[in-house]
Amino acid sequence: MITTITIFIPLAGAILMLLMKNADERTTRYTALGVAAVPLLLSLYIYLAHGSDLGAASLTQSFDWVSSLGIGYRVGLDGLGFGMFFLSALLTLIAVVASWDVHTNLRQYYAILFIAELGMLGVFAAQDLILFYVFFEVTLIPMYLLVGIWGDENRRPAAIKFFIYTFFGSTVMLAGFLALGILSGPNFSIEALNAGGGLSRAAQIAIAVPILVGLLIKVPAVPFHSWLLDVYVSSPISTNVVLSGILPKLGTYGLIKIAIPLLPQGVEPFLPYLAAFGVLNIIYGAFVAFMQTDLKALVAYSSIGTLGFILLGIASGNALGINGAVMQQVTHGLYSALLFILVGIIASRAGTRRIADLGGLAARMPWAGGLLALGAFAAMGVPGLAVFVSEFMSIMGGYTAFPVQGILAALGILLGAMYLLYMLQRVIFGPTKQPALAEAADAGPMEMAAIVPLALLLVVLGIFPSLLINVQRPAVEVVLAAIGGS
Amino acid sequence: MVTAQTFVGLLPEIVVFLFSMLVLMIGVFSPRATGLTAGLAAFGALATFVTAVVLLAVGFEGSFFGDAYVVDGFALYFKLIVAGSAFFTVLAASRWSGRTGDAPEYLTLILSVAVGAMLLVSMRDLFGVFVAIELATIPSYALVAFDRTRRESAEGGMKYLLTGMIASSILLYGIVLIYGISGSAELADISRTFTGQLSPVALLGMVLLISGFAFKVSAAPFHFWTPDAYQGAPTSAAAFLSVAPKAAIFAVLLRIFLEGMPEAAPSWTAVAAVLAIVTMFIGNLFALRQSNVRRMLAYSSVAHSGYILVAFAALQGGGVERGVQAVLIYSAAYALMNLGAFFVIDLVGEEAKSYNGLFKTRPGVALSMAIFMAALVGIPPLSGFWGKAWIILAGAQSGSILTYVAVGALVINSVLSVPYYFGILRNMAFEEPVKGVEEPTGTGAVKLSVYILAIATTLFLFFIGPLSALAGASGLL
Repeated sequence: MITTITIFIPLAGAILMLLMKNADERTTRYTALGVAAVPLLLSLYIYLAHGSDLGAASLTQSFDWVSSLGIGYRVGLDGLGFGMFFLSALLTLIAVVASWDVHTNLRQYYAILFIAELGMLGVFAAQDLILFYVFFEVTLIPMYLLVGIWGDENRRPAAIKFFIYTFFGSTVMLAGFLALGILSGPNFSIEALNAGGGLSRAAQIAIAVPILVGLLIKVPAVPFHSWLLDVYVSSPISTNVVLSGILPKLGTYGLIKIAIPLLPQGVEPFLPYLAAFGVLNIIYGAFVAFMQTDLKALVAYSSIGTLGFILLGIASGNALGINGAVMQQVTHGLYSALLFILVGIIASRAGTRRIADLGGLAARMPWAGGLLALGAFAAMGVPGLAVFVSEFMSIMGGYTAFPVQGILAALGILLGAMYLLYMLQRVIFGPTKQPALAEAADAGPMEMAAIVPLALLLVVLGIFPSLLINVQRPAVEVVLAAIGGS
Repeated sequence: MVTAQTFVGLLPEIVVFLFSMLVLMIGVFSPRATGLTAGLAAFGALATFVTAVVLLAVGFEGSFFGDAYVVDGFALYFKLIVAGSAFFTVLAASRWSGRTGDAPEYLTLILSVAVGAMLLVSMRDLFGVFVAIELATIPSYALVAFDRTRRESAEGGMKYLLTGMIASSILLYGIVLIYGISGSAELADISRTFTGQLSPVALLGMVLLISGFAFKVSAAPFHFWTPDAYQGAPTSAAAFLSVAPKAAIFAVLLRIFLEGMPEAAPSWTAVAAVLAIVTMFIGNLFALRQSNVRRMLAYSSVAHSGYILVAFAALQGGGVERGVQAVLIYSAAYALMNLGAFFVIDLVGEEAKSYNGLFKTRPGVALSMAIFMAALVGIPPLSGFWGKAWIILAGAQSGSILTYVAVGALVINSVLSVPYYFGILRNMAFEEPVKGVEEPTGTGAVKLSVYILAIATTLFLFFIGPLSALAGASGLL
């Protein structure tokens, strides 16, 4: 019950937002904050009360939806999804805090953001293929509207491109889901379908192809990524938080939760390629990020790049790699949200995002500059920060299964360090080039409230990764049992 | 032998026919009472709907007139769709038809189409099928040409009439050939002819029959009358014609295939698959180029005929039962979303520009239109999604490569359709309002229908369980 309540509170919040017709801006913002805090507090409660007990889906609820086909409303939380469930609630709250650049139609903005939150929470709690798909798509139109209405001048083509690409991916994936469910039963319960649902290897392969393609477009894995840059760059900052922090994980989570355990034999021949896709993401992301002149574009490519570690970890098929991948989903969300918010703060002060025009932030804005450095260090995988743990586990896992890909991924870390340090050198140090920056104030209390929790979590999870890993490990073992690995 | 049972079986048709005559009579004696005629027509459609619901609820079944006319769950289901669509159409047409001064005639024509369509779904005899199709089509020529203030209306009506006549003759020719070779027009007898290796005459008859039907459901390459007819027709007529008679024609085609030619399935599923692929691509590619919403929806209805034909292609192997369900579910889902989308034209206008900034000026209408557009794309959990999902399910079970290809084409076409449906959404959400492009003609009753349809389209996720159970127990097969 608590799972369902947590998922649908944002819907109530969205309706509340639309009903508050006469509220002024201040009241609207505080109400939205209040609404966004509820799912976060509930998931915090779940963590404290049930965190050690998330091997198989618990806190479940299930109703028959279409009983003749075994489709049901089945939700529940397991360790695979819980981290992202929590992060969805957290990043929505952060996005509400960070929505200082949105001034027009604020109530509608929050209402749409909450609908997106409903979809995200739902995906990470769904235990039924059709329900998973429904929630998966529920995020789509809100994101289209958030970018298309509140983005920058290039927003409209970016928004429709985003929609068409990801809708294509998810429709292809749907075809795979439907074939999987109808041919193995019919049954659409994820739990019951574990370990192949009695399909032959050939059938599994035929079904795995559309599901993998759909999920990889969503991630996006590198040859499918061309929709991403425009939409990342055009979004308002608070949308970026969700867009980069959560949405790619819908794809990677689908791989871990559905593709791998439900179609073990079907996915197996593609695993080396999945690992190669991961490496391609890491290296391509690093090279292209290196060439960017726009700070936001650089962060966007860095964000694509480090998604590669998740793919590598998933492909490894061993405990280390999958644990690393599940954790990297969360840590990647933390650091990329942090960096995107900081880019927004810096750009609002300097009036530009061109790296060449920035400089001397450390002197003028020590907090913002310092946290930018922290975020960049996190992205590099510096030990002591959470991303290090997850990337290290993914690479070690990947190396065990596919040595070549593992070594190349480790090389990717070096490349990442190069472009991030080069960026820091130009942005933080040196003389102040932008006249606007000379009198710039440091990040204010509102801005600090958005970034400090993320930075803190990066540090805390870096020192105590077991806080997260203990929750996810039992569920990862279930996946390993399904694929017969160790 | 005509018994009391026969009257009960024909009750929905009798009710709607009596009301259509009543409406016409009132028009003759008190032509100014437009409110009364519209109210009576709406009540008649509703009463028909209720009659069909009662028959379905008590599980009424029977076949009459020497097995030429059958009332089963399947037929009653489609009668519900026809009567329900007629109800909303009459509601939406009440004000507009009142202003033309010919409200009784217009409303009678709508109810007459409904009579034809409702008879059609019960026919088990090819000549009965032909008569019922004509009964549904001839009033619809007049409906399309009804708007005397617009030239396009007469033009559309004329085109529809000429092509419709050709289609009817082709259909009749096919029926006669099949009758000639089977010695009977009853589906049960025909099924004995369509076994084993088909004779050339039987094959020709089948091809002509399918071609005639393809005309009627505007499947490509027989679709070219559709955009002109729907653009010219009064909005409510276009909405009704794109939903009710079409659903009935698909239903009877399903019956002919499954009861009359079950053993020829490999041939007609292949034809359906090819027709489906061509129709989907043509409908969507042409819809992409339209800036007139009416015309865009006309091409969209062509594309949706293609989607339904994929379900026909899946009627083989393990996909037969699911394919029948898919046609039933899709027809209901499509009726809700397409009626709604057409009615919005009466509230806003037919130029895409009229939709600019609608979320700011009229949020309720804009949200409804957004729901219809998203449902037509197939975004879950709206009604259109369930229709498409069932078609893919049936396709996956069919075990035929050609059907898999058709399902793949359906997936691609769903994506192809995004730009034009979302073009409306973009105008409504992203653009600034422009004043004075068009004056909306719709009124309170239209708005009410739009809201009800939008809510039903959204809440379809709660009906899908019972609906699929109903479809599973429909009695066909």
